[in-house]
Amino acid sequence: MASTPSIRQFTACIRCVRQIPTANGRRRLLSTSAVAREELQTQAANATPPAPPSNPPEGAAQNASAHQVPEYMQKWGTLDPQMVENKKQERRLLRREHVQPVGSRRRRAALRRSALQKAVEVPFEQLPYQCFQEARKFLLEDRQEKIKEIETQQLRIKNLMEQDPQLSGGLAAKETRLRSMRKHLNKLIILADINDPVVKRKFEDGQGDMNKPIYRYLADQKWRKYKRLVLDQRITQMSVIPDLLPSLDLTADIDLGFGRKEVAPGDFVDSAISEKMPRLNVQTFTPGEKLVTVVVVDADVPVPEKDSFTYRCHLIASNISISPTQTSIPLQRIAHEDQKAVDPAAKKIALPWIAPWAHKGAPYHRLAIFVFEQNEGRMLDVVKLGKTKRSVFNLRSFADSNKLSAITATLFRTKWDDSMAGVMERAGLKNRINVEFKRKKVEPLPYKRRTERMR
Amino acid sequence: MNLSTFRPIFRPYKKPPTTPKPRQPIRPAQQTPQHHPFSSTTRLQKRSKKSSGTDPRITNIRYHLSHPLTPRPLHFSRTRSLRHWTIHRAWLLFLRKRRAAEERELERQYMSMRSACEHLRLMDGNGNRVTEEEGGGQGPDPARLGAKGREVGRLYRSAMLKRGVWGSVPVEYGRLVTDFPAREGWNYAWSAR
Repeated sequence: MASTPSIRQFTACIRCVRQIPTANGRRRLLSTSAVAREELQTQAANATPPAPPSNPPEGAAQNASAHQVPEYMQKWGTLDPQMVENKKQERRLLRREHVQPVGSRRRRAALRRSALQKAVEVPFEQLPYQCFQEARKFLLEDRQEKIKEIETQQLRIKNLMEQDPQLSGGLAAKETRLRSMRKHLNKLIILADINDPVVKRKFEDGQGDMNKPIYRYLADQKWRKYKRLVLDQRITQMSVIPDLLPSLDLTADIDLGFGRKEVAPGDFVDSAISEKMPRLNVQTFTPGEKLVTVVVVDADVPVPEKDSFTYRCHLIASNISISPTQTSIPLQRIAHEDQKAVDPAAKKIALPWIAPWAHKGAPYHRLAIFVFEQNEGRMLDVVKLGKTKRSVFNLRSFADSNKLSAITATLFRTKWDDSMAGVMERAGLKNRINVEFKRKKVEPLPYKRRTERMR
Repeated sequence: MNLSTFRPIFRPYKKPPTTPKPRQPIRPAQQTPQHHPFSSTTRLQKRSKKSSGTDPRITNIRYHLSHPLTPRPLHFSRTRSLRHWTIHRAWLLFLRKRRAAEERELERQYMSMRSACEHLRLMDGNGNRVTEEEGGGQGPDPARLGAKGREVGRLYRSAMLKRGVWGSVPVEYGRLVTDFPAREGWNYAWSAR
C-alpha cells in the first residue's frame, strides 16, 4: 500500500545496491530519529549547496571510472542520487551507479530546481515561518533567564563555600546544602539548552560534543530509554547480577564486539571468534576521566566431582582511562602496547586473555564482562593483580579488596561448537577435548513409574 | 434562519411551492410532466452547453469510493519536524510559565489574607498591636480568648465565624456521616512521634 513506505523504493536486488559509505561507515552512537539515509541528505544539504547537475558529482565519476561502464550507459550522462527526478533516471541510477536515490522524489525535484535557479539556502534558524520565529524568540528569552539564574546560583554557591560552617549549621549541613545547590545548578545548565533545536539536531546526527553537559544528558536519557533496559534485563535474567555481584546499578553504556562483529548482550559467540580478546566501548555520562578495571569471568565452570559449578577469571585489565569522549577500550591494542612496555608495573593487562571454552554436552557458559571504576582514580598494582588465581575466582572479594565499584557489565555466552576442539588445542587443553558431559539418568520415583494401569 | 448556507450547491432542482393551477385536460403528448424530469441533472447544469466532462457528483463518488478509511500518515521532513518540535517546546514552556505565574499569584493572595487576619487577631479595641500572649487563639480554636480578654481580636473572631457559609446548614455538618463521630473535627495537635 502507499501508506507503508518501504526502504527499498525500487525493485532492485539488495546486493546490487552499493551501500553509501558515509551512511554505513561511521557508527552513529547517539542518533534517535534520523535514519542513515536521512542523515546523508541533511549533511549534503547543509555542508555544501547542491551542485548544479552540469558538473558531475565526485562519487559517481569515480565509480563510473572504476568499473567498466558499457557504451550505452555512458550516454545517460551524470546521475546524482540527490537530484534524479523521474522514474527513468532513478532506474538508470540504480543500474549504472548501484545507488538508491536519496529521499523523496518531491524533495529531489525541489533540490534540483533550487540548484538550477542557484537559490541561496536559508539557515535553519532564519527560516521565515512566523510561528517558528516567535517560538524561537520565546525560547531564547527563556534561555537568557536561565543563564541569569545560573550566574546567581554560582554566586550563591561561592558565598556559601566561603561561609563559616558554624554559621551554616555545622559542616554536615553545609555539605548537604552545597550538594543540593550544585544539583540545582546542573539542572539549570541542562534546562538552558534543552529547548534548542540545533542542539537536538546535532545530537541526533551524533555530532554532539560529549564534553558538554547537555549532550551527555541527552545521551544518557536515550540510553536509559532502551539500551539500558535491554542490558539490565539480560544481566538479571541470566543471573549474572546476583551470581557474580550482589547488585549493580548500570551507569555507563557498554558495547561489546569481537573484531568487526558486534555482540549483543547475552549472545552466543562462536568459539573461534572469541579466541581473540573482545573490544569494548564504554560510554560514561559523568564528566571527567576515570581509571577502570575490566574483568571477564566465566560463571559456569562445571565441577563434576561436586556436581556443581564454579567461576574462572579470563582477563583482568587495569588502569585503563576512559572519559565521555574517550570511550573505546581496545583490549587487543592494549595487549600489543603491553608487549612493548619494559616496566612490568606500567603494563595494563594483569591476567592475559584465555579463550573461553565449554565441554561437549555441558550447558552454556556465561562470560560476564565487568567494568569497575577504581577508587578515587588511583592506579592499581598490576603485578600484584597478576598473581590472582584464575580458577575459583571470587569477583565479590576481588572488588572489595581492591576497592572497585562496578559501573557497568555485559555478557556473552559460549557452548560447544565445531571450532571448539581447535580452540582448546591451541589453548593447551588437548587432553580435555574429548571430555563429554552427559545428563545423569534419574530413576523415576516409585509412584511416578509408568505402570500397566497408566497405559 | 437562512439555511441557504448549509444547502449543497448542486442539488436536484425543485420548484418552489406555488398555488395549484387549474387542472387541464391531459393530452397524450404531455404524458410525462415537464417539471419532474427523468434525469436528475440539474437544469442549470443541463442548460450550460459547455459541459466540461467532469461532473462534481461523479468526482465526489469516485473520491469516496477510492479513498481509504485511514488517512495518509503524517510525514514531516527533518527540518519541518524540527520546526514543529521547536514550536511545541515553546508552547509547553509557555504553559508552564503561565501555570507557575498563576500559582504564585494565588500564593501571594493567600499570604496577604493571612497577614491581614493576623493583624486583626493581634489588634485591641483601640487599634493597637498586642503581643502574642495577649492575643487570642488561632487556627483550630479561633474563639479562645487571650490574656487581655474580649477586647483583643474582636474582628478576627467574627471573621472566623462559620455561620452562614452554607446557607442555614451549619458548617459542622460538612463531613462524612459516621456512627462514631469525633468530638473535635480534626486533631491538630496529633503528630507521629
